[in-house]
Amino acid sequence: MTSPGRDAALVTLLLASVCGGLALAGPAVGPADALAAFTGHATPEVRTIVFALRLPRLLLALGVGAALALAGAALQNLLSNPLADPFLLGVSGGGAAAATVAYAALPAALLGAVPLAAVVGAACTTAVVWWMARGPLGGSSTRLILAGIAANAFTSAIILAVVATAPSTRLPGALAITMGSFAAATPAALAWLAPYLLVPAAVLAWHARDLGLLALGEESAAALGVEPGRVRQRIFLAAAALSGGAVAFAGVIGFVGLATPHLCRLVWGNDVRRLLPRVATAGAAFTALGDLVARRALSPVELPVGVITALLGVPFFVALLRRSP
Amino acid sequence: MILLESRGLCGGYGGSAALREVDLVVGEGTCTVILGPNGAGKSTLLRLLAGILAPTRGEVTLLGRPLPSWRRREVARHVGYLPQFVDFSFPLTVEEVVEQGRAPHLGPWRPPDAHDRAAIRRALERMELVPFARRPVRTLSGGERQRVLLARALATEPLLLLLDEPAAALDVRHQMELVAVVQELRRGGTGVVLVLHDWNLGLRLADQVLLLKEGAVVAAGPPEALLCPKLFRSVFGVSVRLLGSDTAPPYLVPVGVA
Repeated sequence: MTSPGRDAALVTLLLASVCGGLALAGPAVGPADALAAFTGHATPEVRTIVFALRLPRLLLALGVGAALALAGAALQNLLSNPLADPFLLGVSGGGAAAATVAYAALPAALLGAVPLAAVVGAACTTAVVWWMARGPLGGSSTRLILAGIAANAFTSAIILAVVATAPSTRLPGALAITMGSFAAATPAALAWLAPYLLVPAAVLAWHARDLGLLALGEESAAALGVEPGRVRQRIFLAAAALSGGAVAFAGVIGFVGLATPHLCRLVWGNDVRRLLPRVATAGAAFTALGDLVARRALSPVELPVGVITALLGVPFFVALLRRSP
Repeated sequence: MILLESRGLCGGYGGSAALREVDLVVGEGTCTVILGPNGAGKSTLLRLLAGILAPTRGEVTLLGRPLPSWRRREVARHVGYLPQFVDFSFPLTVEEVVEQGRAPHLGPWRPPDAHDRAAIRRALERMELVPFARRPVRTLSGGERQRVLLARALATEPLLLLLDEPAAALDVRHQMELVAVVQELRRGGTGVVLVLHDWNLGLRLADQVLLLKEGAVVAAGPPEALLCPKLFRSVFGVSVRLLGSDTAPPYLVPVGVA
């Protein structure tokens, strides 16, 4: 397929996820009714379902998917490690641990700070994992994955402690952070998420070429003009903000950040400047479609979306692990 | 013209100074070869000269200006550096890696223009990589990878090239090819600094040789002045014989552990 052809396929996939999220997300409103909501011929109930429930949820899924995919792409290049992913490295877990602690402990007036806590938690975990993964002779895939296991174990312990001790009024909210779901989407949540997605995305776009050079390691990138210290810091913060923001508004969702960048590299090559917008689009579409499957697969029971992304992502991870040197 | 100069250069990893008091001048169109046993500080010296590692004492000047006063990207435009080891975990193709060599000229946004593409093409052709251009580098052999990295350094078209063991994995033909490339670069005015393990290849290529041992310069000068078996014996810990005749160039042969 030609390059415009591949882009057209990606846009089609995105449109399919948008139409699916609006028209097929539940039995109450079918495609014809959903279309009527847009042409102004629908009942108020249908309009509420489409515009107040399905649209915010769809936009949240798209935004979180884009954020996770971008975070994965950034971490993979920054650590020159194709197995890096915010979920596997414990970055999402760190964000979730900090967010659940904040959610359980903060007074109601300060709950707006939960996303910030998630970002700080994600940033701290990223830094610790990076530090653990670098031995005296540099990093390796094995060390990185082991560091991720340690971080995930530690953050799970914190989350369990919070769940065991949280006041009953706060328990469902704290649990939702660990489950991964877009059910809590509101226009306000979308407005909060926007800066956590857009600012880091702009930082990554600015450093796209540097990210490409970092794929072959820091020394190699430094030799080609990258200031490793400063660039590394910015990209780390951007990846932490993307992962933390995603966790704060939708909970822990794994494997989007791992699978999407890889599939995009297979299709579009390794030029990060070309890759980033496509990774974001593909991540958005993948997650929105995942949410659709999560809602409809065992309808009327709704699965956490992380179940679907993991069921699709784990076989992918296994394949990647088998192929990595 | 002096391209690069170091004065009293010290530096290394983990507190203990691996390298002590290195003075070096690299002129336009000259070739400097650094020889020494494992752990002598050869790679550390190259990293210090490339500005990738900050010195603990002393300084490096590029075109007369101290290295820290340059922006990293400007240094990379003038100084090409071939690291000894590069992590090819990512499935980058040969062409994608060689294209990276133009990054110092492009900045964050500018796409490659005709001049950049011509430089990439020339580097691929010079290193005989055109048939591999679309292959992932990690599927290539050690020597082929080394040629890819050398092509990347050439694509930058720098004033000065710092090459860390560029010949280590090359077969004989490609070693000779490397010699030809270095000679060509010198004729074009490029300064070349190489770390080599092959003494005779080094002595044949160099305008000046630096012999390093345990972080210090043991001897420095033109190759003729260093053709001394005793010197090589004391630096490398092997017995050495000097061969040569009217028809063949002098040749140092290690004959056993001293």
